[in-house]
Amino acid sequence: MRDFSYFRAASTEEASRATLDAGAMLLAGGTTLLDLAKCGVTEPDTLVDITHLAGLGDMTVDANGATIGALAKMGEVADHPGVKAAFPAVAQSLSLAASAQLRNMATIGGNLLQRTRCSYFREPGVFPACNKRNPGSGCSAIGGVTRNHAVLGTSRACIAVNPGDLAVALVAFDAYVEMGRRRVAIEDFYMLPGETPDWETVLKKGEIITGIAIPASPAAKNSTYLKVRDRQSYEFAAASAAVGIEFEADGKTVRDIRVALGGVATRPWRARAVEQSLIGTVLNVEAVEKASRLSVEGAVSHGGNRYKIELAPRVVARAILTMGGLA
Amino acid sequence: MTIMETRKHGDAADGMVGGRFSRLDGKLKTTGGATYALEQPVKNLVHAVLVQSTIAAGRVVAVDAGKAKAAPGVLSVFTPEDDLGLLVASDWFGNRPDNQPFHPLPREVSFNGQAIAAVVAETLEQATEAAKLVKVSYEETQPVTGLDDPNAGEGRLVDMLSVGWGDAEAAYAAADIRIEAEYRTPREYHVPIEPHGLTVKWEGDFLTVWEPSQWTHGMARTYAEWFNIPADNVRIVSPFIGGGFGSKAMGYTYSAVAAAAARKLGRPVKLAVTRPQTFTAYGGRAATRQTIRIGATKDGVLQAIVHRGASETSVLADFPEQTGAATPLLYAVPNLSTQHRLVPVNTVTPGALRAPGKNPSAFGLESAIEELSYAIGMDPLELRLRNYADHDYQSGKPWSTRQLREALTVGAEVFGWSKRSHEPRSMRDGRQLVGWGIGCGTFPVLKAASEALIRILGDGSVEVVSGAIDMGQGTYTILAQTAAEVLGVPAEQVDVKLGDSSLPGATVAGGSMLAGAITGAVHKAATAARDELIGLALNDSNSPFRDTGANTLVIADGRISVPRGEGPSLTLAELMSAIGRDRIETQRNTLPEGANGPEDHKRSWTTMANIEGPTAGDLSMHSWCAHFVEVKVDEDFGTVRVSRVVSAFDCGRIYNPKLAESQWRGGIIMGIGQALLEEGLIDERFGRVINNNMGDYLVPTNADIPHIQVISVGIPDHDASVLGGKGVGEVGIVGVAPAIANAVFHATGKRVRDLPITLEKLI
Amino acid sequence: MTRTIHLSLDINGKQHELDVEPRVTLLDALRESLALTGTKKGCDQGQCGACTCHVDGKRVLSCLTLAAQVEGRQITTIEGIAAEGGDLHPVQAAFIENDAFQCGYCTPGQIMSAVACIREGHAGSEEEIREYMSGNLCRCGAYNSIVAAVREAAEMAATGVAAKDKAEVA
Ligand SMILES: Cc1cc2nc3c(=O)[nH]c(=O)nc-3n(C[C@H](O)[C@H](O)[C@H](O)COP(=O)(O)OP(=O)(O)OC[C@H]3O[C@@H](n4cnc5c(N)ncnc54)[C@H](O)[C@@H]3O)c2cc1C
Ligand code: SF4
Ligand code: FES
Ligand code: FES
Repeated sequence: MRDFSYFRAASTEEASRATLDAGAMLLAGGTTLLDLAKCGVTEPDTLVDITHLAGLGDMTVDANGATIGALAKMGEVADHPGVKAAFPAVAQSLSLAASAQLRNMATIGGNLLQRTRCSYFREPGVFPACNKRNPGSGCSAIGGVTRNHAVLGTSRACIAVNPGDLAVALVAFDAYVEMGRRRVAIEDFYMLPGETPDWETVLKKGEIITGIAIPASPAAKNSTYLKVRDRQSYEFAAASAAVGIEFEADGKTVRDIRVALGGVATRPWRARAVEQSLIGTVLNVEAVEKASRLSVEGAVSHGGNRYKIELAPRVVARAILTMGGLA
Repeated sequence: MTIMETRKHGDAADGMVGGRFSRLDGKLKTTGGATYALEQPVKNLVHAVLVQSTIAAGRVVAVDAGKAKAAPGVLSVFTPEDDLGLLVASDWFGNRPDNQPFHPLPREVSFNGQAIAAVVAETLEQATEAAKLVKVSYEETQPVTGLDDPNAGEGRLVDMLSVGWGDAEAAYAAADIRIEAEYRTPREYHVPIEPHGLTVKWEGDFLTVWEPSQWTHGMARTYAEWFNIPADNVRIVSPFIGGGFGSKAMGYTYSAVAAAAARKLGRPVKLAVTRPQTFTAYGGRAATRQTIRIGATKDGVLQAIVHRGASETSVLADFPEQTGAATPLLYAVPNLSTQHRLVPVNTVTPGALRAPGKNPSAFGLESAIEELSYAIGMDPLELRLRNYADHDYQSGKPWSTRQLREALTVGAEVFGWSKRSHEPRSMRDGRQLVGWGIGCGTFPVLKAASEALIRILGDGSVEVVSGAIDMGQGTYTILAQTAAEVLGVPAEQVDVKLGDSSLPGATVAGGSMLAGAITGAVHKAATAARDELIGLALNDSNSPFRDTGANTLVIADGRISVPRGEGPSLTLAELMSAIGRDRIETQRNTLPEGANGPEDHKRSWTTMANIEGPTAGDLSMHSWCAHFVEVKVDEDFGTVRVSRVVSAFDCGRIYNPKLAESQWRGGIIMGIGQALLEEGLIDERFGRVINNNMGDYLVPTNADIPHIQVISVGIPDHDASVLGGKGVGEVGIVGVAPAIANAVFHATGKRVRDLPITLEKLI
Repeated sequence: MTRTIHLSLDINGKQHELDVEPRVTLLDALRESLALTGTKKGCDQGQCGACTCHVDGKRVLSCLTLAAQVEGRQITTIEGIAAEGGDLHPVQAAFIENDAFQCGYCTPGQIMSAVACIREGHAGSEEEIREYMSGNLCRCGAYNSIVAAVREAAEMAATGVAAKDKAEVA
C-alpha cells in the first residue's frame, strides 16, 4: 500500500468535509479498500476512518420496512431476526457472501461500493489497459479470460461484473440508498459502464452513504436469494437471483413478483421482463422457464462467460419455482 | 485387514509403533508457538520484495530503478545489471556444470512472472511499495503459451519413459472392443497455506537460512554451491513447514536473490514471496494431455493398452509430468505401449506436486477403464477385479505386497457398491442426479538411506535428532514412537529435534519415502543405544545389575530389569545416575557397510542419486488404494458436490493410524479440488496465469468436503522398509479425480475428460 | 520512515506500544513489530483466513485491518486464548485430540475462527460448522477433523465440561 495518513472522523460532517480532498477516501470495514490498496488499484493519500462514528450502525425493522445504518456489519444484518423475517432474500444474500470473518468487518455502506473482481482490473502493474481504472486506456479483459465477466449491461469499454450479492436483493425490493438528506432508488444508484466505466455510482465527492431503506412488501417477505458458484462457500456468484413473490388471495395467481440477477451483469440487474410476463398468471414450470429466459435478453458472450447466458435463466427459474412451491 | 475405528486417545495398547498418538508438536501448533521460517526473531532485518516480469518471452532492455531507489527506506534494488557472483548448483542428482555463473535475475525472460528484480528496504511496506515503482522495459518475442499453442508442436519423445511389451498396436487393432479417448489436466498449483520465503543471515562466510524445507541437507548443498563456500558453512533451519506438497524441496531463484542481497548489504534479509507471486516463483503441476486406447474382449479381458501422453515443461529445463506412470501397473494386460512427450512452453519450470506422474496418469487410465465398463456393460468393480494384475507386468517381478483386491472389495462393501444400478442417470436424490464411481491409485515405494542420533540423558529422557523434516506428515510423532518402542520408554519421555541441516543426514521428504527411511535410521540408532545401555548396566562396576549374573536385561515402561523379574528394577534415570553417566549417544545410518564414507554421506543426504526405485530389488513394491465416490449433480446448474467417499488403502504397516488417516484424507481432498475446482487460467495473449490468488484459484473449503471414510487394508511389508510401512503421503490423491469423473458420468451420462469438471462443462 | 504514528494496542489483555506507519496492517504489526507470530499470513488478501483473530470478541481478518483502526479495541490472538495457568482452551485441546491439522499453518486461524463460531452459535450441526468454518482454508485437508473438533468443543461448551480436563488429555 502506498503511504497514507490516517485519521478518525469525529462526525459525519467532518468525514464528509475531509473526503472533499482529492486523495482522501472513507475507510469503513476496509475489506475492499485495503485489498485494492494492496493491489495498487487505489492509492489514497488520506484514509478517513468512519467506523467509530456513533449512530451510523443502527437498524430498525417495522411494518413500513427496514432502515439500516451504513456502518451496520454484513454479519449483523444477516443475523437480524427482523431482517430475516421481513426480507429473507436480503439476509440470505449477506450470509451467502464472503466469509464469517469478512462479514464481521464489512459494512453495508462499503458493501454497496465494492469493486469488480475482474482480474485485469486488479493487477495494474501487469495490465495497464483498464478503462475502469484508467479511462481511455482500453480493456484488457476483452479478448482474454472472461469466465467471470458480465454478459449483461456490458459496453465496448468494460465488461466487468458488479460482484455484490446484497445489492441484487436490494434492487429486487426497490430499496433506497441514503446519503444524508439525499435519497436515491438503488437501481438509479448504479450506472452502466457505457463509455465511462470508471464512474460506477451517482455518489458525489464528499457524499457519504448514511444508510439504506428497504420498503416492506409482501413480495419481500416471501423471498429467496439463490447463489450458484463453483465452490460451495467463500466465493462470488457465477450467477445468482433474488426473487420475491406475492400471490393473490387465491394463493396461486401472481400479484407481484420481483426478480433480480447477480454475477452476470455490470450492475445489479432487475429483470422486469420476467416479472411482467408472470404477473397475473398461475405459475407452472414451463411458463416460468420460458419467462426466465427473458432475464438474459440482449446478453452478449465474450467467450469464456457464454455459460452464464445459459445458467442465469436457470437460476432465476429455480428461485421462482422454489418460491412458488414448484421446485 | 483392519477397519480403523476412531479411538479416542492414543495409547500404547496398539503397540508403541502403530498407536494412535496425538501429534507431539500439537501443543506448539495450536498455541501459536510453532515458529515458521518468516517468523524468526532475527535482529537488524531488512525486507526484500521481488519484481516479476510482465511478459512471457523476450529480453529485459532496461530497468529504471531510479524512483524505487529514491523511495523512503530503500537500501538497494537488484536487477539483471548486478552480478551477484553466484555459480550454478547441482541438480537433484548431484550433476553440476563447472564454474558456470548463475544469474537468478536474468536478462532473458522465459515466462510471465519470472523474477527480474528485487527491492530491499527497511520495512516490508516500504519494500512492497518501492517494488511497484521499478519500471522495466522489454523487447518482446512471441511466446508459446501452452500445449494448445499452434507453435508448441508435438514435443520431444522422452525415450526413458517409453514402456512396452507384447505388440500393443496389433492387439488393439484385433480386439473386439476398442475405446479411445483423450484426457487432459490443466496447470495445478500446490498452494500451501504458508507462502514461500526465507530469512537469511551471514556471519562472515557462514550462512544461516530459515526457509521452509522438505530437504534441509539437499538445500544446504545448493546454497553452498551457489556461493562457492564449504557445505558445512551453510545451515538450513526448518523446524516447521506450512505445507509443501513437493514445492519446498529446493532453493529457488528468489532464495538465491535473498541470500545474495544479504551478503551484499551486510544485513539479514527476509524475503516473503507474495501469494500472487507464488504462482510463478516456482512451478506447479504441468498441464498434460494423453490419449488412451484400450482393446478388450467382449467379456472385459484387457488385450492391449496404447498410451500416448505429453506434458508441458519450461524452455529452461525438462520436467516431465509422466502421464504413463501408472498405466503399466494397475492391470493385467498382455500388450502395452506407453510414450511420453515433453513440450517446452513459456512457463516457469513445472515441479513435483503430490504424486507427480501417477496422478494425471491415473486420471487417464482410471477414466478409460470405466469408459470400457460402459462400452461392454460390465460393472466397473467387476471389470477391475477381472483384470487384476497378479504380478508386475512391466518388470516381470512379483509384488512385495499388493492388497489392492482387498482395497477394492472392502471399499465396495463399506460403500455399499452392490446397491448401484449401472445405467447412467439411473440414480436420483430428489432433484439431484446421483453417481457412483471408482478410481484406483498407486505410488511406488522409494528407498533411501538416512541417519539419526539417539541421546539418552541423565534424567532418563530420550532425544531423537535428525535433519529430517516434518511438514505435517507426523515425523516428530512417529520418530518418538519408534524410539520409545525400541528403548522401552513412554513416548512422552522422548523429545524429537528435526529440521536442521546441521543435524544428522536425511533424505528428502518427497516421494513418500521419508517415513520409511528415517524410522529405519532411528530404529537402528535406538537399538544401538539400547544395547549400549544394557552393556553398561551389565558391566559397569557401579551398576546394581553387575552381580545379578544376567546376560541381558529388558527395558519396559521406562524401567530396566532382569528378564524374569527377579533382582533390581531401575528407572533409566536411576541407572544413568548409578553408572555416573549424563548421556549415552549413538548415531547410526542405514547405508550399507563399505559404502559409508564421507562421499557416500554427501551423495545420500544431499542428492537423490542413491534413491532406489520400486523394482531395484527382486520385487516390485508400491502402495495401493481404491476410492469409492458418490457425487450429487444439480443438472440445471452443472454443479457437482461430492457427498460421500470411502477409500481403502494398502500402505503396508501404519505407524500411527491417526496421522496416516489425516494424510490420506488430505490427499483425497486435494483430489476433490483437482477434479472440480483447480485450474491455472492462462491468458494466451500474455502467457500469464491470471487467477494467481486464492480467491480465483479455488481450493476446496470446509463446506466442499463430506465425511471421508478411510480404511487400511495393508499388511506389514518388510521388504519395503524396516518397520514394514509403505508410502502414505501421496497415494491418497491418486485415483480421486477419475473416481469423481466416473461418478459424474454415472450421474449424468456426460463424460468430462478435461479437468476440472466445472459447471459450464455440464450445463 | 515517513509518517509514523504511535499506537497503543490492547492485545491479549496487555497494552503494547508501537510506532508504525498508518498503512501497517494489524497482521504485520503483530508479526513484524510485536513478535506475536502465532497469527499467520497465508494470502494477505482476505482470501484464506490464516490471519483470523478477534477484535472485541468478533473474528476478523487481520490482513485487511489497519493496526491504527483497532486502537482502543480489544484484540485477541492465538497466543491469548489459553488459560492464565497455561491450560489449553477447549478448542485447542479438541484440535490436538482430533488431529485437526497437519502442517499447522492454518491452525491458529482455524482455532480463532472456531472459538468465535461456537460463541456465535453457529456450531449447531456438522453442516453449519462446515459453512461457518469455510472462511478458513486448510490445504492439508484437515476439514473432517476440524469439524469433529469444533463439534466436540461446542458440546463441551454447552455441557460445561472444564477446559482443564480436556487439556490434560492432550
Ligand atoms: C475474499 C473476499 C470475498 C468476498 N466475497 C464476497 C461475496 O461473496 N459477496 C459479496 O457481496 N461481497 C464479497 N466480498 C466483498 C465484501 O462484501 C466487500 O469488500 C465489503 O462489503 C466492503 O465493505 P467495507 O465496509 O469493508 O468497505 P471498505 O473497504 O471500507 O470501503 C469500500 C469503498 O466504499 C467507500 N465507503 C465505505 N463506506 C462508505 C460510506 N458509508 N459512504 C461512502 N463511501 C463509503 C470506501 O471509501 C471504499 O471506497 C468479498 C470480499 C473479499 C475480500
Ligand atoms: S472489464 Fe472493465 S475492469 Fe476489467 S479490464 Fe476491462 S475495463 Fe478494466
Ligand atoms: S492472510 Fe488474511 S485472509 Fe489470508
Ligand atoms: S494444517 Fe496445513 S494448511 Fe491446515
